[in-house]
Amino acid sequence: MNKGTVSIIAIAVVVVAAWMWNESRYYDAPATPALTVVDADGNAVGEYRPPLARDMLAEENADSIIYGMRLLNETARLLPDNVGNGLNCNSCHMAQGKRPLGAPYINTINDYPKFMGRPQAVLNIQERINGCFRRSMNGTPIDESSEEMQAMVDYMDWLRGDVEKGHRVDIKNMEYFKVAEYTPDPVRGEEIYVQQCAACHGANGEGMKDQFGDFIFPALWGDESFNLGAGMARMSRASPFVLHNMPIGVGLDAPLGQITLSKQDAVDVSAYFTVKPRPDFPDKIYDWPGVPKPADFRSH
Amino acid sequence: MNKAIKVTIVGAAALLVAAVGIAKSVPYWFAPKMDNPPTVNIHDPELIAKGEYYARVADCVACHTAPGGKPFAGGLGMQTPLGAIYSTNITPDPETGIGNYSYADFERAVRRGVRPDNVSLYPAMPSVSYMIAKDDEIEAMYAYFMSAVEPVRQDNQASTIPWPANMRWPLAWWQLIFAQPREFAEDPTLTAQQNHGAYLVEGLAHCGACHTPRGIGFQEKSLSNRDSEQFLAGSVLEGWYAKSLRNEGVGLAIWSEDEIVEFLRTGRTHHTAAFGSMSDVVEKSTQYFTDEDLQAIASFLKTLQPRSGYAVDWQPNDDTTTAKLRSGNITEPGEIIYIQECATCHRLDGKGAPRVFPALAGNSIVFAEDPSSLIQVTLAGAKMADTKYDMMAFTMPGFYHLSNQDLADVLNFIRTGWGNHGSTISTRDIARMRRVVDHAPEHYVPQAAIREGAHHE
Ligand code: HEC
Ligand code: HEC
Ligand code: HEC
Ligand code: HEC
Ligand code: HEC
Repeated sequence: MNKGTVSIIAIAVVVVAAWMWNESRYYDAPATPALTVVDADGNAVGEYRPPLARDMLAEENADSIIYGMRLLNETARLLPDNVGNGLNCNSCHMAQGKRPLGAPYINTINDYPKFMGRPQAVLNIQERINGCFRRSMNGTPIDESSEEMQAMVDYMDWLRGDVEKGHRVDIKNMEYFKVAEYTPDPVRGEEIYVQQCAACHGANGEGMKDQFGDFIFPALWGDESFNLGAGMARMSRASPFVLHNMPIGVGLDAPLGQITLSKQDAVDVSAYFTVKPRPDFPDKIYDWPGVPKPADFRSH
Repeated sequence: MNKAIKVTIVGAAALLVAAVGIAKSVPYWFAPKMDNPPTVNIHDPELIAKGEYYARVADCVACHTAPGGKPFAGGLGMQTPLGAIYSTNITPDPETGIGNYSYADFERAVRRGVRPDNVSLYPAMPSVSYMIAKDDEIEAMYAYFMSAVEPVRQDNQASTIPWPANMRWPLAWWQLIFAQPREFAEDPTLTAQQNHGAYLVEGLAHCGACHTPRGIGFQEKSLSNRDSEQFLAGSVLEGWYAKSLRNEGVGLAIWSEDEIVEFLRTGRTHHTAAFGSMSDVVEKSTQYFTDEDLQAIASFLKTLQPRSGYAVDWQPNDDTTTAKLRSGNITEPGEIIYIQECATCHRLDGKGAPRVFPALAGNSIVFAEDPSSLIQVTLAGAKMADTKYDMMAFTMPGFYHLSNQDLADVLNFIRTGWGNHGSTISTRDIARMRRVVDHAPEHYVPQAAIREGAHHE
């Protein structure tokens, strides 16, 4: 072979190698689809993508955001004095509060202060969080000016990204069920529970613990579960939560491999587990002051 | 034209003609139809029942059924570097299936990989393993296929390999070189039970088809432990790394016989779960094995010595990760991605949840030499084997949407977390596997068959 041929082959090899290198280098994940940001009148004003986990480290208040993330994930372990059961905030606020139909924190900072029917009052974010401490966590409120409260708020604020006050990310929240529209069948609910829930939440709703005694899978009833004052104790809230979020680990879709049950399945299984024994919430008598109590109010 | 060139061209052409000619003749003398085939009573219920069991052990259904398609009707696509090939219809339908096969035709296809029309089959059909099956086992399977499998009319799908690579005559050469007749030879140093295990592993259960590394000709480098220590030493097929089953640190050294049995029967142990093609193997095949057969396999696998140069056992480093994550000392992107994306299921201590979510700590697939399975399971997700032993089969969601950098960071974190130690994964490794996932073969299920299938249920 003469020099010319050799150099042509050499150039060809280099070009092909460079092309292959380049190809694989840029062969990456497709761009994350954006959610629309809307103003108070519902006009699109921008786009939202959940911030990347890795970017948390570069934030000015990274320490506080990370602390907040941990508190929301490991509430029972980190705040034993304020949590009266085995739950964590993110037991219900799915996938780090990032999942639209899983009680997300995406709009929380921008939506508060907000009027709530239960106390018939406008609550600020700290008060709202403490509502979950007293009911969902069957515990006691934390100091509104504490480092812990600030950390949780900072995490939610980080999640908001650069969506301004007055704007919201246009996501659908779970739609509360109108209780009168369904006829729950708790017997069928028990069958569903045994087939699709018990492997994780236990045959007796007791959940499953890890080597440190922390819950891997939270209890669905009993002393370690939410109390009668929690939203989850009400069929209108439990049913859509279960519909969209449980079971996990059964589908191929991130974040948690959830599937959507049928509405009737969600109603039936919720009718089975919500009425099981759980802690009382004596202060429930003060809820909905001066207005009629909702149909699924839990007096017992 | 210069004379030398002329001679070369003519010579090459003559060689080619000879190569093709010899190849075409190979099936006739190298793997002929058997001379005096026995008469098989295909209506004998006992024989049929046995045949059904052997067909399960041989997992014919896994390859010969497309997802959503009818059992044994073929159409499952298998990726090769040149295109996809499709398994064929082996239901007893006379026109599109194997209804017209005589016993001798069946025996020859299964053991020797040659069709009745004297054409060689692709080595994707594991005849090199089935070759050692006993006559009565092949006869029983024939009875089962002819009498008990529901005939399905479904044409075979042509491969997508382009001409000239799709010509089949080179396969005859392949068989001549790599599929020499062989019989199972007992190893006198093993117990009768272990020899029975070896017989199953090398033969009908064809574990080596996925777990033995393949050579340049796609041949399994070793078909039995007596040949070489490459037997069951780990291999990649369609982007799934089937790890070493030898008693070495990266293999099954830390597994007890009971764990192997439990894994093959239920697809899980307390700290791991079958995924990818292994999940399919358990679901369709090994969960049905008799206790005796499973014990024999486990007992045999525990006799496989480590390859020379490979450590006998794997020692974890100290676990500093659990304490670091629990104390909130979060400094690396990999850690924070893990907490946000994976920890709900695999937990801060990397231990998962027994029989629900596999542990990543001390899980050899996580720190395997070849990270293909690790990357693919994270990119594409995977489903555990659904067996009668557990109420639910769980699924790992796919994280295809995470960037190559995020995935490399989180996988390197779990590869070195909790005392694990493994080589570093680069973003290019992720890109390479992303490509494999994108180019997974499409399976072939005719719409009519799906409709009919739905109708029947
Ligand atoms: C038992 C389940 C459960 C637990 C545990 C729980 N929550 Fe909630 N929380 C809910 C439900 C249900 C809602 C209503 C969500 C909706 O309608 O989308 C809610 C609402 C909220 C809201 C208002 C969100 C909004 O944008 O309006 C905040 C903030 C909140 N929770 C914080 C917390 C914190 C902090 C904790 C832990 C201390 C916690 N929650 C624990 C179930 C729970
Ligand atoms: C694969 C395990 C798994 C299965 C199956 C499963 N869950 Fe859950 N469930 C979880 C986990 C984990 C959480 C907490 C979420 C988190 O930590 O991110 C949870 C949380 C919940 C919660 C809110 C927290 C609480 O304890 O009140 C409810 C309610 C719930 N599950 C109901 C169900 C129902 C009903 C089913 C069956 C239809 C079900 N789950 C099936 C794992 C599971
Ligand atoms: C690992 C996958 C795999 C397994 C397991 C497998 N086969 Fe096959 N088989 C194939 C593929 C692929 C082909 C088509 C090969 C080709 O087109 O060259 C095939 C072809 C065949 C053929 C030829 C059909 C024809 O006429 O074209 C027969 C017969 C057959 N298999 C029977 C069996 C039986 C019986 C079993 C179980 C004992 C079995 N196969 C197990 C992959 C498999
Ligand atoms: C179709 C290909 C295929 C066949 C056939 C196959 N395997 Fe596997 N096997 C795999 C893959 C891929 C993995 C890695 C995924 C996993 O760990 O589940 C694996 C993993 C395993 C593991 C290790 C699991 C772990 O978590 O470390 C064992 C044990 C095993 N196989 C045993 C066997 C035995 C015994 C046979 C024969 C009866 C067999 N396999 C046949 C593909 C296969
Ligand atoms: C919704 C729960 C869930 C989440 C979230 C999850 N996994 Fe998994 N993971 C599973 C399940 C279930 C399996 C078993 C899959 C199977 O056997 O087919 C699994 C298996 C694995 C395996 C193979 C181990 C084995 O022995 O089977 C690896 C590695 C893994 N996951 C890594 C990750 C990484 C990395 C992340 C985060 C990017 C992650 N997982 C997030 C549920 C989850």
